[in-house]
Amino acid sequence: MNDSSKATAASEFVSRLDDRSARLFLVAGVVAIAYYSGANVGFALTFAPHPTSVVWPPNALLLAAILLLPPRFWWLPIVAALPAHLLVELRSGVPLTMVLGWFVSNCTEALIGATCIRQVLREEPLRFDSFRHVCIFLVCAVLVAPLLSTFLDSLLVTAIGWGHAGFWDLVRTRFLSSALASLIIVPLVVSWTQGGIQGNWQSLRTAATRRQVEVSAIFLGLIVTCLVIFEQSPDSAAMPALLYAPLPFLLWSAVRLGPQGISASLLAVASLAIWGALHELGPFIAGSPAQDTRSVQLFLIAVAVPMLLFVAVMTERKETRRALQLSEERSLKVFRSSPDPIVIARKSDLVIADVNDKWEAMFGYRRAEAIGRTTVELGIYANPGDRKTYVDLCERGLVRDFATDMRDRHGQIHHMIMSGDSVEIGGVECLITIARDVTRQRLMEREAQEQRVELMHLSRVAMLGELSGALAHQLNQPLTAILSNAQAAQRLLARDRIEAQDLREILQDIVSEDKRAGDVIRRLRALFKKGETQLQKLDANELVREVLSLVHGSLTSRYIRVAIDLSTLPVFVRGDRVQLQQVLLNLVSNAGEAMEAPGSVRLLTVKTAPNTDERVQIIVTDGGPGVPDSIMARLFDPFFTTKPQGLGLGLSISRSIIAAHGGELLVRNNPGGGATFRIMLPIQQ
Amino acid sequence: MHAENVYVVDDDPGVLRAVTRLLHSCGHAASPFSTPAEFLAQYDAESPGCLVLDIAMPGLDGLQLQQRLIRDRATLALVFISGESDIPGSVQAMKAGAVDFLTKPFDDRQLLQAVDDALACSRRTCETRRDLHELGKRFASLTGREKEVFEHVVRGQLNKLIARDLGAAEKTVKVHRARVMQKMQADSLADLVRMAERMGIGAPVAPGAR
Repeated sequence: MNDSSKATAASEFVSRLDDRSARLFLVAGVVAIAYYSGANVGFALTFAPHPTSVVWPPNALLLAAILLLPPRFWWLPIVAALPAHLLVELRSGVPLTMVLGWFVSNCTEALIGATCIRQVLREEPLRFDSFRHVCIFLVCAVLVAPLLSTFLDSLLVTAIGWGHAGFWDLVRTRFLSSALASLIIVPLVVSWTQGGIQGNWQSLRTAATRRQVEVSAIFLGLIVTCLVIFEQSPDSAAMPALLYAPLPFLLWSAVRLGPQGISASLLAVASLAIWGALHELGPFIAGSPAQDTRSVQLFLIAVAVPMLLFVAVMTERKETRRALQLSEERSLKVFRSSPDPIVIARKSDLVIADVNDKWEAMFGYRRAEAIGRTTVELGIYANPGDRKTYVDLCERGLVRDFATDMRDRHGQIHHMIMSGDSVEIGGVECLITIARDVTRQRLMEREAQEQRVELMHLSRVAMLGELSGALAHQLNQPLTAILSNAQAAQRLLARDRIEAQDLREILQDIVSEDKRAGDVIRRLRALFKKGETQLQKLDANELVREVLSLVHGSLTSRYIRVAIDLSTLPVFVRGDRVQLQQVLLNLVSNAGEAMEAPGSVRLLTVKTAPNTDERVQIIVTDGGPGVPDSIMARLFDPFFTTKPQGLGLGLSISRSIIAAHGGELLVRNNPGGGATFRIMLPIQQ
Repeated sequence: MHAENVYVVDDDPGVLRAVTRLLHSCGHAASPFSTPAEFLAQYDAESPGCLVLDIAMPGLDGLQLQQRLIRDRATLALVFISGESDIPGSVQAMKAGAVDFLTKPFDDRQLLQAVDDALACSRRTCETRRDLHELGKRFASLTGREKEVFEHVVRGQLNKLIARDLGAAEKTVKVHRARVMQKMQADSLADLVRMAERMGIGAPVAPGAR
């Protein structure tokens, strides 16, 4: 690290430190000022001879500050509050021991409340839009903390001998005062500081005019109502009933403005009610200051507790409904604008309940036309049997990739793949089907298949062209036999020396030789023909015999001996006869060519054997020079050839044919020279 | 029925049977063999005969069989039959003394002509061989001195010169010469020279060779 970057890091550290300590100082300052102001308000809201105020905000402010801070900073508000506390209390001429005693009990209350809430909520911040949180808050901060600290406080007051009130009076007033303060102040501070005070203001200012008008109307209504009720002279007759007048505004605020609104509203109501009572106005002026105090406190607590619970329930419900609506909207969007056609049908009678846009577009029926009818009425299934199969499958559970053909309104056939599942919608068992149009895909597959067949055919024809000499030879043999037999008969007849038995034998030979020639031609024609793949059960031994009978002449004319070692166990495979013959023909003719090389052992071995792993092997071994290592890797590549006239397709196509049959075509060089090609095909029982 | 043996060797049973049958129909005593090995085990190497042979066969093929017969000094004449016009094969076969080379399918007349030619050829070979055998027997009956005189006589030397070469009296040479003529059953000197040529002895020595 060089000097300049060191300096930068150091200055960054200092600035971060500054930043952090500045923020701590700010918090401390705010807490001190709030505490000081709160205490003053508390004093102001005290009925003169009575030692305890109607509402005592400092404790609640401390609690709010502590709740907003992580536990390692909990000392900060307490330290910050001490000077403010001393300043306020000493000024009013209270003995120091009492002042410190109160500070201890105030801090105890805040710490008990904060600790209890934290114990229950763990890391979660306290939220007033959650019913559970509000309950926890009420128990911990409004009931337990004020109660415990009140006992401590009252014990201290009694012990020190300050004031003239009895212990239980002190407990009652102090508890209610603290509880009320917590109810009014903590929700206000917490709900407004969460998300930032600035942010909250900002959102209110930038809100729609309608909302701003609404907020103004609520608060204006609330304040006017409170002024009317709480600032009236106490001897008005209709007073008790008027107590309920702020309720509509509070409910309105709770429903529309959430925790922030209700906490502000409660503050307004509390301020005005207490202020009125202090000035001997409003409905709470009944007797002694202690009674009046209690009356105001109980009224405000009775209003605040249900309001806080109500707002939490309302907000939660609103949130739930919003989430539900959002998810419904999403689902609907997904359904409507899915790129695949979707149809929902009642399971009982398969009447269509809904279709999406893509379904409409594909089948040409509008939603209104489709709903209430069945696919049978619409004639969607090209093969109605498929529908029954599909529905039966759906009865058994989830269906995936069911292939069928469907007809649209204009009679056009689409190849579809469908997936379906049973779902319950509104208490009705429904079948939801997602289809996919694979017509184009099928078409492409078919084209690719056709091209493959074409290519196979071409390579077969090319190979047969190369073999034409051998094939001519193969026809020559029976033709020679026929001619010689016929001419022998002619000569015998000419000399009139023929026996019926001889003639019969000659004719028999002619017939069988002719059939032999016919067989050659038929096999050739099958190989020349371009046809669809026809899978059938085939005997590997028969395949070998047929192919060798075609090329036998070609091999013997090249002085190649053929050793056939056919399995005595059944070696049936499933495949296309012509294609497999093509592969064998290719291997055998390659082997024949390989053995033209000088130094070859002119022996071709063709062997069939069942393999251990449920496969049949056809093994073609030649005695040629083997496959050079340099070309071994490219041997099966298309267009790779070592022959001057070769297309380089034979082995490539052979391998793809065997692969399409679920088998393998392998090659290796023999230790003693020559190459072995091995066809492995799944056995057919 | 002709007396000469005709053998047919072809690995294709249909062709083998048909060709044999055709030869039978023309009065040939044809014997069929499906492999060269069977044929080799049974054929008659001394008598005149004809072998109709498929050129392309697994194992021992036609050309190899031909070489084997030449080595064995067989008297048979060969007619090759082939599935295709295998030019190098036919050239080799003809060079090695085959009588004919037929491409399948062939006409009966072609085959019979070829077989007749081959039999004639074989007969000639046999006669030649028989003659040589006879001459050899006569030559063997000569004494050592007579053989020497024979060699000199067929070189065209006069009695006087022979006598000098052999270190004998001219009269003695004359007697030997008369005995040679008698034992060899030669009518004239020209006859004797022809016999010597056939036996491959007494070729004229180039002057100064000795």
